[in-house]
Amino acid sequence: MTWSATARGAHQPDNTAFTQQRLPAWHPLLSASITLPLFFCAGLAFIGLGLGLYYSSNGIKELAYDYTGDSGTGNCSVCAMAGQGRAPPPPCSCAWYFSLPELFQGPVYLYYELTNFYQNNRRYGVSRDDSQLSGLPSSLRHPVNECAPYQYSAAGLPIAPCGAIANSLFNDSFSLWHQRQPSGPYVEVPLDRTGIAWWTDYHVKFRNPPLVNGSLALAFQGTAPPPNWHRPVYELSPDPNNTGFINQDFVVWMRTAALPTFRKLYARIRQGNYSAGLPRGAYRVNITYNYPVRAFNGHKSLIFSSISWMGGKNPFLGIAYLLVGSLCILVGFVMLVVYIRYQDQNDDEEDDE
Amino acid sequence: MGWRQSLQGADVPMGRTIYLNEPLRNAFCENSISTAKYSMWSFLPRYLYLQFSKTANAFFLFITILQQIPDVSPTGKYTTLVPLLVILVISGIKEIVEDYKRHMADKLVNSKNTIVLRQNAWQMILWKEVNVGDIVKATNGQFLPADMVLISSSEPQATCFVATSNLDGETNLKIRQALSETATMKTEKQLSNLSGKIKCEEPNFHFNSFAGTLYLNEKSPISIGPDQVLLRGTQLKNTEWILGIVVYTGFETKFMQNAVKSPLKRSKVEKVTNMQILVLFLLLLVMSLVSCVGAIYWKDRYRAEPWYIGKSDYDYHSFGFDLLVFIILYHNLIPISLLVTLEIVKYIQALFINWDEDMHFKGSNVYAMARTSNLNEELGQVEYLFSDKTGTLTCNVMTFKKCSIAGITYGDLSSKSDDGAKGFSQSPCFISDTYEFNDPALLQNFENDHPTKEYIKEFLTLLCVCHTVVPEREGNNISYQASSPDEAALVKGAKKLGFVFTTRMPNSVTIEAMGEELTFEILNVLEFSSNRKRMSIIVRTPEGRLRLYCKGADSVIYERLSENSLFVEETLVHLENFAKEGLRTLCVAYIDLTEIEYEQWLVMYKKAITVVKDRMKTLEDCYDSIEKKFLLLGATAIEDRLQARVPETITSLLKANIKIWVLTGDKQETAINIAYSCKLLSGQMPRIQLNANSLEATQQVISQNCQDLGALLGKENDLALIIDGKTLKYALHVEVRKCFLNLALSCRTVLCCRLSPLQKAEIVDVVKKQVKAITLAIGDGANDVGMIQTAHVGVGISGNEGMLATNNSDYAIAQFSYLEKLLLVHGAWNYFRVTKCILYCFYKNVVLYIIELWFAIVNGFSGQIIFERWCISLYNVIFTSLPPFTLGIFERCCSQESLLRYPQLYRISQTGDIFNIKVLWIQCINAIVHSFILFWLPAKMLEHDMVLQSGYTTDYLFLGNFIYTYVVVTVCLKAGLETMSWNKFTHFAIWGSIMIWLGFFAVYSSLWPTVPVAPEMTGQGSMALVCPHFWLGFFIVPIVCLIQNVAWKSIRNTCHRTLLEEVREMESSGVQVLRRDSVQRSKVEEVNLQRSASPRPCHVIFRNNSVDLGAPHGYAFSQVERAVISQEELVRSYDTTKNKPQKTFSSATLE
Repeated sequence: MTWSATARGAHQPDNTAFTQQRLPAWHPLLSASITLPLFFCAGLAFIGLGLGLYYSSNGIKELAYDYTGDSGTGNCSVCAMAGQGRAPPPPCSCAWYFSLPELFQGPVYLYYELTNFYQNNRRYGVSRDDSQLSGLPSSLRHPVNECAPYQYSAAGLPIAPCGAIANSLFNDSFSLWHQRQPSGPYVEVPLDRTGIAWWTDYHVKFRNPPLVNGSLALAFQGTAPPPNWHRPVYELSPDPNNTGFINQDFVVWMRTAALPTFRKLYARIRQGNYSAGLPRGAYRVNITYNYPVRAFNGHKSLIFSSISWMGGKNPFLGIAYLLVGSLCILVGFVMLVVYIRYQDQNDDEEDDE
Repeated sequence: MGWRQSLQGADVPMGRTIYLNEPLRNAFCENSISTAKYSMWSFLPRYLYLQFSKTANAFFLFITILQQIPDVSPTGKYTTLVPLLVILVISGIKEIVEDYKRHMADKLVNSKNTIVLRQNAWQMILWKEVNVGDIVKATNGQFLPADMVLISSSEPQATCFVATSNLDGETNLKIRQALSETATMKTEKQLSNLSGKIKCEEPNFHFNSFAGTLYLNEKSPISIGPDQVLLRGTQLKNTEWILGIVVYTGFETKFMQNAVKSPLKRSKVEKVTNMQILVLFLLLLVMSLVSCVGAIYWKDRYRAEPWYIGKSDYDYHSFGFDLLVFIILYHNLIPISLLVTLEIVKYIQALFINWDEDMHFKGSNVYAMARTSNLNEELGQVEYLFSDKTGTLTCNVMTFKKCSIAGITYGDLSSKSDDGAKGFSQSPCFISDTYEFNDPALLQNFENDHPTKEYIKEFLTLLCVCHTVVPEREGNNISYQASSPDEAALVKGAKKLGFVFTTRMPNSVTIEAMGEELTFEILNVLEFSSNRKRMSIIVRTPEGRLRLYCKGADSVIYERLSENSLFVEETLVHLENFAKEGLRTLCVAYIDLTEIEYEQWLVMYKKAITVVKDRMKTLEDCYDSIEKKFLLLGATAIEDRLQARVPETITSLLKANIKIWVLTGDKQETAINIAYSCKLLSGQMPRIQLNANSLEATQQVISQNCQDLGALLGKENDLALIIDGKTLKYALHVEVRKCFLNLALSCRTVLCCRLSPLQKAEIVDVVKKQVKAITLAIGDGANDVGMIQTAHVGVGISGNEGMLATNNSDYAIAQFSYLEKLLLVHGAWNYFRVTKCILYCFYKNVVLYIIELWFAIVNGFSGQIIFERWCISLYNVIFTSLPPFTLGIFERCCSQESLLRYPQLYRISQTGDIFNIKVLWIQCINAIVHSFILFWLPAKMLEHDMVLQSGYTTDYLFLGNFIYTYVVVTVCLKAGLETMSWNKFTHFAIWGSIMIWLGFFAVYSSLWPTVPVAPEMTGQGSMALVCPHFWLGFFIVPIVCLIQNVAWKSIRNTCHRTLLEEVREMESSGVQVLRRDSVQRSKVEEVNLQRSASPRPCHVIFRNNSVDLGAPHGYAFSQVERAVISQEELVRSYDTTKNKPQKTFSSATLE
């Protein structure tokens, strides 16, 4: 519609390699002869690494005990029976006896594991108020709607901490006793219940609301604890640095797991004689059995584990490396076959001509 | 409007009434035009409407709305809205930039100057200020600002010439003549006193029709026809000035009425992509349904919900609610950024086309221009090429090239000396003089009293006298204006040889033969018609003898030769040679008449011109009676010069398995000539000529030919099919069509001649539907607009004056030969680029979002997301946005040189095997496998939540971030695997994307609570980035994913080497020429090569007479027939010794 379209020349940019699409470029062409050595090298490297990882993981000790109390499995079954069908279950305690034939190399960490517990369920996972947990007074009074039905108590008070996650806080507790000599007295092994949460959680993400007249209790005045809790949040621990929203048990629980079987850190054993690990001898774990898992066909276990540079025991990565390494070698051989065959064929053809 | 309505309602049956010199009563549309899409105010609503009418965008809008429902969205309320806004803003900017250009172009046109009569004086005003009823004056060379009725002109008989190439693509000048009643009105006074009205039809788009009536006061009404109408967009030529009354302005002009918006074309790839998006949408629905069923099953298993989840007021069990949740969860399977990525990629591809120096015609400084960018990849798939002839294959410049006089050929110099073919074809259109006839032998023979001297003299005299050309003297230069380019070439050729045609008077012509002035009295002009194929002129020579000069087709001249005629055999051989070269030949002959013969004939002639019934026929019979017993002088050969490199380009395109059809409005002879000279036809190729006058005859001849072909029908044969417009009309009848197409598609070359613009479009349409292949039409004139718009891809030849084809095309190039690069390089590249980009976008989205499905399996189908919500939305916008761009912009399958050297490589993109639904499924399955690995490997790695050195346990997002990182790495490396050509941008995109994510990850995890986003990300970065598992997985997980891709690619490249791999290998090893044996090793390509480059000779025995196996005839001649003024009248109306009437507007006031 215009007769001026020919006058475009002036707008042309400089005649560069970019505009003429002649930028220098690398043109890789994958073929058997090129990938063949790559596969072999990668395969060997992976197998080497895999062996290292596998042995490294095998060197980590782990001791687990399922104390759910299915009938006929240790003395926790009494508690399990007692709690059957009753909510809230009555307080109950049971014990787990075990002995170590040799030193359980430290540092030793105590974990609890729950199975079939869907912390990753969406409605469970969103049922929390991170603003409230970061100590914002306004959020303390007005929890977000996601917390429903644990947003306001029956009396209309805001629940602190609100939401289903907080409400379902794991409330079993454990104490470890060591019998140094056979038939000697049991001595309590000190469990360090601090330093079990991520640094950022404990220092940044979870904050108590500002104290009122120097008292945490007053700061929480006008709020209700979650319905399943027996104590308000500010009485979770007598230690002022470990109570309220920054109680480390609570903080650990609030980090919801990815899979329905998950572990949470309960305590570290690193004090006194036990800093190097658990010496040989008999042990008893006293368990306060509160947490109902049978309702959802769950199990709960107690795990002692040592921790190395790669964390806890998990041979999977080592095995994966070994498998992938072998796969690479295998593919390498396939490449070799392909290479030889087609090399010959090409040569033949050239001879024919 | 109401005013106009009431006008119509008055006593006039016709559309509009224009009152002369009463500007206030003429209220019609303005003359300013706007081709822009938006105005300042309409932009937002119109733009949003256009955007949301795209299905994908509407889908994302729908998702955004869904997300606003409380508790439905697992990903928050704004996570789709924000990327959608980003994308809308980006394409909005693109639209604004493009529309701004259109506004500027309109402004340029609207503010051109023209002269009109206002307040009894000539005033210079802008085009947009011209109104209906204005009297406009235009001078030579000007474009006309509006449609107007011619009042008077500077020329004799108030004629004027206009170039209509802008409108109809025809390059010969058109004659327009004013009504005799107005022809004398030339002064301001006369014009100002003009009163009356013009009634004419409503605006329409027919160029060649106009019906109006002029009512001058106190005179009887006079009817106005198309011969009085000058249209906007035409250019005044060879005419000092004209005066006209504006009748249609602005959008109501025929030019603008024709300039309809080109139909929106969608490329095949785009259609396939839409199908693929649909497939993905189905996948999305299936996944959502599966997840819903899973949710029901999960809830069922627990009968009641587990106690810890807590009861809620909402009814969470509803199936519909779950479905919405899952649709939102998985909606990103459909790549939100695909459309905008493609838009930008294609825009840049278009820029590359515009910037290409190889397609820059330096002669007129015109670059190639991609007028749309959405067909870039279609250029890589063309299978049928429909080409116009005039102005496309040829320059439309005729040059007198060779001649044969008295059995001796002259002008063979260039072909004798060096590379004849090269000299012939590579002549660029714009350098003219050097390529004209230049053979000193002719003049030597003439001057040295060679035995043939007299013949030479007679031959050149004939060229000077026997024509309808009008000379124009400017100083010492004589230029010729002719409606027939052939005649102009001959006269110019004669002039160069010293026989100069100087003066035309109504009854005589004067020539200067070697300095000697000779005047021939013209007695009669025996007009040319395509039926007669000759024109003759009867003159009285200066010596007083009567002589008839004739030039015409060999066939008609030869049958009229007297038995005394010499050199018949030699000339015939020469004619054949000329024809083989594709030259247009004419035979020239003369006969001396006796006075008695002439007198007798004159009586007959006078009778014939008074006959009313069948005058044409009677006249022709009359002419025929005197055109006999010719004495042959020789033959001329005119080169209808091809554009540069046309034969090479055609050969190359044929090798690329592109079938070329020539569709021309020109004559059959001319088309055949050109086909020979551009190597579409070769000497031995049998030519099936279909010329029939009725449906039955057409049907019969077509089926006869089909039978003769037998089993060869449907295969590609070394045959040529030539059909004319009239026969084509019958051949496209429903019952014959199929048969005809079968025949046509079995021929290597198809020439369709004498086609109307509509037929051109029709045949393209028919082929397009029949073969389901991509078609491309290329042309330069308005008569090609139809086919340019109909074909999948329309290419216009730009740079000539006619811009209509360009303006309706998708791509404009300056030369036919640029088509080679446009298709073979840009087309193939763009196809690879766009398809890879699309497949990759699908792949990367499927990989990331299927992971949510795997996660749903372990989270009880609750709709929980494993990644942080903003990370999900930024995936397409930031972290993996660069690789699609580098694939789409910089990917190269191999170098430009290789693509041009091995046109067979075009087959890869042409067949479209690398992009269809099947490929998408393979890609999807690949992506699903990858996502499976990408979820389950990290999930197993982190199974016990105990991977941190400090013994801390981890959460779901920790796993999510592992997976997300591995996804980004895998997806970027996969892009690297797909990339065949890594330049610096590719490296930046691939490694940069990974770095950007890692950087973002580190920063983003430390924002809360300072910035209130992503509380769940707090501390993730500092924990994950120091975790040994993270880095161990960083290497192994992407490698596990890609190992099979690498292995598969290497095996395929080794076992099944295609030509592409050979060429690539050769390129990387730096060898310049592919060894012959290695070409042959790739058998598939070799077959293709053989088939397209050297088709099997055709061994069909044709049993019908429509097939021409003999040597070609070279006759061709173009001349306007049945114009307003007959050839004789035209010749009689000029007296070039007189000056034209002086300008009447000396007092024009210029503003």
